[in-house]
Order: sequence, then C-alpha cells, then structure tokens
Amino acid sequence: MQVVEEPESAKSREEFAIEVRDLRREYVTRSFFGKSSKVTEALAGVTFDVKKGELFGLIGPNGAGKTTTIKILTTLLTPTSGRAFVMGLDVNRQIYEIRKRIGIVFGGERGLYNRVTAVENMKYFSDLYGVDPGISRKRIPELIHLVGLEGRENDKVEKYSRGMKQRLHIAKALVNDPELVFLDEPTIGLDPAGARDIREMIREMEKWGKTILLTTHYMFEADELCRRIAVISKGKIVALDTPSGLKKLVKDISVVELQTYGATESFVEKLKSLNDVIRVVADLDSERQFVKIQTPNAADVLTKVTQVADGVKIIDKSIKEPTLEDAYLRLVEE
Amino acid sequence: MVLSAKNFVADPQFVIPCIIAPFIFTMVSLFFIVSSSSNNVGASALLAAVLGGGLMGVWGTTVYGSANSIGFDRWNGTMEATLAAPSPLIWIVLGRVLWNTFIGVINGFIVLGIGMTWFRVGVGLLNPGLFVLATILTYVSMSSFGLMLSTVYVLSRKGGFIENSMEIPVYIATGTSFAVALLPFYALPISFIIGPTWGIEAIKRAAVGTAYAYGPLLPTGYWTDIAFMLVATLAYFALSFILFQRVETIAKKNGTIEEY
Amino acid sequence: MTVATEEEKQPEKTLAEKETLAKKVALFYRVFSGSVLFGRKGTILWDSWEMWIMQIFITPPAEMAFFFLLAIAVYHDLTQAQFTVIGNAVQSMSFAAVFAVANITSQDKWQGTLQTLIVTPANRMALFIGRAMFQIFMSALITAAAFIYADFVFGINFAHANYLALGIAIVLTSVMMISFGLLISSIGLFMRTAMIVANIFLFLTMLVSGVNFPVQALPLWLQPVGWAIPMTYGVLAARGAIMGASVLSLGTILLKELIDGITVLFVGYFLMKGFERLARKSGRLEEY
Ligand SMILES: Nc1ncnc2c1ncn2[C@@H]1O[C@H](COP(=O)(O)OP(=O)(O)OP(=O)(O)O)[C@@H](O)[C@H]1O
Ligand SMILES: [Mg+2]
Repeated sequence: MQVVEEPESAKSREEFAIEVRDLRREYVTRSFFGKSSKVTEALAGVTFDVKKGELFGLIGPNGAGKTTTIKILTTLLTPTSGRAFVMGLDVNRQIYEIRKRIGIVFGGERGLYNRVTAVENMKYFSDLYGVDPGISRKRIPELIHLVGLEGRENDKVEKYSRGMKQRLHIAKALVNDPELVFLDEPTIGLDPAGARDIREMIREMEKWGKTILLTTHYMFEADELCRRIAVISKGKIVALDTPSGLKKLVKDISVVELQTYGATESFVEKLKSLNDVIRVVADLDSERQFVKIQTPNAADVLTKVTQVADGVKIIDKSIKEPTLEDAYLRLVEE
Repeated sequence: MVLSAKNFVADPQFVIPCIIAPFIFTMVSLFFIVSSSSNNVGASALLAAVLGGGLMGVWGTTVYGSANSIGFDRWNGTMEATLAAPSPLIWIVLGRVLWNTFIGVINGFIVLGIGMTWFRVGVGLLNPGLFVLATILTYVSMSSFGLMLSTVYVLSRKGGFIENSMEIPVYIATGTSFAVALLPFYALPISFIIGPTWGIEAIKRAAVGTAYAYGPLLPTGYWTDIAFMLVATLAYFALSFILFQRVETIAKKNGTIEEY
Repeated sequence: MTVATEEEKQPEKTLAEKETLAKKVALFYRVFSGSVLFGRKGTILWDSWEMWIMQIFITPPAEMAFFFLLAIAVYHDLTQAQFTVIGNAVQSMSFAAVFAVANITSQDKWQGTLQTLIVTPANRMALFIGRAMFQIFMSALITAAAFIYADFVFGINFAHANYLALGIAIVLTSVMMISFGLLISSIGLFMRTAMIVANIFLFLTMLVSGVNFPVQALPLWLQPVGWAIPMTYGVLAARGAIMGASVLSLGTILLKELIDGITVLFVGYFLMKGFERLARKSGRLEEY
C-alpha cells in the first residue's frame, strides 16, 4: 500500500479531490424493543486519496463498506473517527460548502420523483442547488442530451424503464455542475447495452474534467474505466493500485476456461480436488455452463480436465490471461 | 397465512393509527356524558360509551386492514407469489382479514381499558355469557364485512381511499356511540344491512340492558339481533365468494390484481 | 486526531463571506418557489385527486355529523350540537395542514428522495415551508367547504357572521397549523414513528383544542397542550366571527395565534436541524 502524507499541507489541498485518513464507522442497530443492540463495524480504518480529475474505483464484496464511504464523503453520515476531506473541505464541518460542489448517483430505481417529468425533476434540483435559472435553462437540455433522454424528457418518470431512470439519475446529479461526482453502482440491474451507454457517459464526464468516484460489482467495468482502484473488504482497503498493477498480483497464475454441457456440482468438486487448482468459479444455472479454473499450471490442468469429465461434455476449452476479477477474488478471499 | 399476517402486524406504525380515532372519539363522548348535568350520569351510559369506543377500535382496524390486505402484496412485490399459491385467493385474504379483525379486537380492548381507567368506569356486565357470545359473533360478522370490502380494492387502486374514508361513516351507521335512531330516515336502510350493527346492539344489550340502536323503530331483542346479524354475515360470505371468483379469473389472466 | 482547527475554519469563512445578503435572499426564494411548485405535484400522496375528493366531501361532513349526533344523543340540545359543528369545521383542516405536511419527510423517505434532498445545500426552512404551501391552500379550501356544510346541513345561523373575520381566521389557522405539521415532519428525518405522531395529531385537536367542548373543561394538566396549538385560537376566532365579531375585536386571539404558530415554527426548524444531525450520526436517514 502506498504511503500517504498527512492532509494538512496546502499542496495536498490543491492536488486532491478526496483525502481520507483512517476513517472508521460503526453502526449500532437496536432490536425492535430497544433491548439488545448490535454494533457493526462498517469501516475499520480506511485511508486513500483521489486526485482531482481522476476516475477512481472502489470495489469490494457486498457489505464491504463502499456505500458507507460514499455516504461519509457526501455528508450524509458522520464518521465514528478518522478524517475525510472533500475538495479540501472537512466533511464534519464544512458540510454546506461540500454539498454545493458534489453530485451523487445512487444505483437503483428509487430516489426520483415519479409523478413528474425528467425536466421537472432536474429543474427542482437546480433550484435546490441554487443554480441560476438562466444557467439551468441551458444546462438541463445539455444534460438530457448527454444521457440520451431526448424525446422522453417531458414524460413522467413513472413511465420510464429502469435504464432510463438510471440515466436521469446521472443527469440530475450534474445539475449543479459538480466538480466531484459519486457514482454508487450506476449500472446495477441494467442490460449490457444500457450499462455500456452509462459507461460512455462516465467517460464523457471524465473528459469534462470531473473527478469521479465509482463503485461497481462488475470487474471489467472497473478495469475499463478506472485509473486507479481500491479494493475494500470488511471495512479495510486490501489493495490500491492501477488496474494493471492489481492484475500483476495474479501474474503467477493463468485461467483455464471451459464451456461445458451437463456440468454438475460434483464435476466442480472434482475439478477443485485436482492438483494445482487454486480456485474454481462456475456458473451452473444456464444450459451451457462456464467454468473458470485458476491455476499456476494451466497446461497440466487442461489435460486433466478431460479425465474427470465423466459424462460432462466439454464444448470448448482455452487458457486465458488472468483478469481483474481473478485478482479481486484472490484479494477478497484471503 | 400467519406469516403474511405477521408482516402486517409487526410494524406498530400500521396498527397504532387504527386506535387513535376511536380513542379520541371515546374520550370526547365521555367528556360529554360527564359534563351533561341534565342527564343523570349513569354507570351504564359510561360503560356503553367505552364499549362503543372498543367497537370502533375493532371496526377501524377491520376497515383499514381489509383495504390493505391486498394492497399489501403490491407494496411488498409478493403479488405474483400470492396468486401462484395453490389455495384460492379468498382463503388467503380471509386469513388476513380475520387476523386484522383480531388485532382490531385487541385494539378495542386497549381503547376500552384506557377509557375505563381514565374515567373509572365499572365493568358490571349484565349478562357476561351473552356478551361474550355476541362479541365473538360480531367479530366474525365484521370479518365477513371486511372480506367483502377488500374486493373494492381489487376493482380499483383507489379503493384504499374509499375504504379509509368509510371509517367514520361506518362508526356512525352502526351505532357504536349513539343510537342509529338518530340518523335521518334515508340513512337507516344502510345501517340495517350492515350486519355488525345488530351485533353491536346485541353486545350493548348484554352489557347494559338498554335496547339501543333502533329504539322505538324496530323493537327487537337480543336473539333477534343475533339472527339478523347471522343472516347478513352469511350474505356477505356468499357475495364475497362470488366476487372473489370473478376477481381471481381476471387476475390470473392479467398476472396481477390490477394495473398501476 | 490532529490539531488543525485554526486552519480548518479559514476556507469556510471566506466562502461564506462571498455570499452577500441579497444573494442569500435570492437563494432562499429560489428554493422556496421551486418547492412550492413541487409540493403540488411532486409527491405521491398529494396528486391523487380521489383522496382530495374524500377529504373535501366525505371525511369533514362525516366527522361533523358524528359529533353533532353524539351531542344530540347526550345533551338532547341543538345549541350544544351546533357548538361542535363549528369546531369540527375548523378542525377538518387537520388532514391537509397537519397530516399531509407531517408526512412530507416520510413520503420522501418512502420514495427514496429524502437522501437526495438532504444532500443539497438548500435552506431547510425554505424547502419544507415551500413544500407545505400547497397544503395551506388545500387546508383553507377544505375548511371553507366544511363551513358550507355547517350552513346547509347542520343549520348553523350565518345571519350575523362577519365573513372577513371568518376568512382571516381560517387562512391564518391554516398557515399556523402547518407549523405543527412541519414540526412532526422533522421527526420523520430521524424516526419512523412520525406517521404515528401525525395520526395522533390528526385527531388530537378534537379533544384538546376546544373543538367539541371548551378547553376549560379539560383536566388542568391537559389545558396547556390545547393552548400550545394554534387551532385552539382559530376555533375561538371562528366562533366569534360567526356571532358577528369584527376583525378588530378578535385581534387579541388572532395575535396570540400568530405568536404561537411562529414559536412552533421555530421550534420545528431547530428540531429539524437537530434531527438531521442525529440522522447523519446514526445512519438512519433511509429507514422506514
Ligand atoms: N443504516 C445501517 N444500519 C446498520 N448497519 C448498516 C447500515 N448501513 C450499512 N450497514 C452495514 O454496514 C456494512 C457496510 O455496508 P455498506 O452499505 O457500506 O456496504 P457496500 O460495500 O456498499 O455493500 P453493497 O455492495 O452490498 O452495496 C454492512 O455490514 C451493512 O450491513
Ligand atoms: Mg452499497
């Protein structure tokens, strides 16, 4: 992990959009009658920086603390301890200033006013951000264009598909022309084409010079978009590097990919028990199954696969370079 | 069934609202009774008032609960699962309505208890046995009414509003707090066909002895009241059965109970 | 934690200073007017017209009838019964002015928009009062309708009524009662029980605000609760106006109502700020 300086220096203020130092957050949940309480440690000391103009990724399993981090940085939640600065402003004290300069997109369908149109949603939030009406009149159509909602912008949001709602979320987050945009799983639940469009928009935003903090569960997405990625697991950052840097962590292995017909749990178990097999990831739900085997000795495993096939038809097999997903799996499972 | 019912009760924010109006209404009537010096403040008048409050408590929950016994599914996105269940829709909804009404009975006792302790009303029931019988039968009758009412929700999403706004008219029409005889004549047929009106009268008769609801209009007795209520209750069940059969056919065809 | 307080405060101050008073007022107005427009059509409950039909045509007359008949049954006296009619006509505004306003935060929470509201820099007072404006209009409308029922259905004598005074009483009470709605609404930022409190307030005034019987008939400890609610003064003023009292002679009552309402509004505003802080601390902004 990289060495981080204390955030006090004036230099860091100019350079960094986000500075996080040993951030901790606990949630206390009480049972219905308030008798027993449970403490969840969502963040257990997180430290990282995001440079201005950088597209930074935060990945990690469910419950790792990604949303918690974003909520703290967007002033929706106070940290239990530690410090965080957004555009050099303290998230505990300069809440109002921070709010003016950021935008947030939470993934999912909720969070929009369904009974009014896209334009009305955006107009309202422009007002709440105190955007000059002259400016918002010009900006709103531009943003509608960016997210490709032209022609539908005067329809009520309740008639929108999930993908359209997600686009509107993005447009809405930009009404105040924020310097820093938080995107919490912006492509969740979208079809591949819809997700690709959203990725295009994110690239566009990057070109405009916006700093972006993105969380996602899709590894190829993080790989494709992010300059640097922090892998967070159980409230701690377990790795922080460029995508290629992270992939180097699994340089020692390669991946045998199989396409099979009729694969079962027992086949997967057999693969796991083979020599040199580190990990097997299989998707058994569809008619044809995809099985990925991580191993330092791909050629050897490839030949042994046929020996244990035992009735399972292997349609296709190949050896692949490890991807970000392989690195990620190793990081979060260790 | 118990599970879905549990979902409905688990959250106090859905149940507590149902006792507030009955509670306040009862308090106001107790204030009236205490302050009316012209009336000789009889224990029976106070008891009748808190009983009325209890009955409003049951009614409120029944009306509210039946409005939501189907809407609840949409809220939770379990509509398809409910429709796909092997048992007919009417049984599922009946289960919920019975449960809601039962919660209503508990509500009723809460209102009753608060009213009694606040105004120190005695619990001298004239005929406890008949009182319990009438209470149980009224419970069944209210459930059957709730069941029938829940089909209104099926006909329209806005049915919920209709049912919620029926709360107070139902208190008035069934003589929970004052005699139905006070109503203008054109409103009387409505109370006649609401089964629980008769049950409420039977309950009060068993508790305090006064023939309440119809006064001189229809001099009935305890058992006549019970008989009228049973007839109405059977009619509600029959009607619900027919309505639900239609609803289910439509719903299965469309895959949902109604459109958004 | 490192000590850097002096340095931290610096940028905040300079940025805040840039905002002149005129700009602040303009900002406040923009948030307010945007919210006024939005309060009418943006939220779930408010634009279902069926519900408003119920709230104008069914619930108020039903409530008035309930207490009218109850009073007849107990007192055998028309004057007593008509006393409740006027009280309940004013009380019928509760649904719009208190209940609907109280549910603003809960509704937004329910549709997931509360977070996005909270994360804006918008002034909370401007935002929530703006959102409540439509309810003031509805509240006055419902109450006006209720007085029509009082006239035509319950036979209240309007022969001596001072309509100007009555109108002022209705509008002022509608405006002042949203302060209670907003106060309850602020609870919704933090607690899921806001709906219960809203429901209590929907009916509580029937008991404590001199709607059905004078406040003086309440037990002593309950009377201050009555006098804390603007509606209590509104009911008195409306009764006076129907008997023919002029605006001037009702001045004291109306002034008391105004002071009471504004006090409640400020309490609500500070509660809202406090609850927002608590919500950020506990992470319960989204729970419902
Ligand atoms: N309001 C809350 N109250 C109690 N616990 C919470 C709350 N919000 C989050 N948590 C807990 O904190 C931990 C971190 O949650 P968080 O939402 O930050 O995870 P995440 O990385 O965003 O996960 P996901 O990928 O599922 O979105 C989890 O264990 C979660 O259960
Ligand atoms: Mg998350």
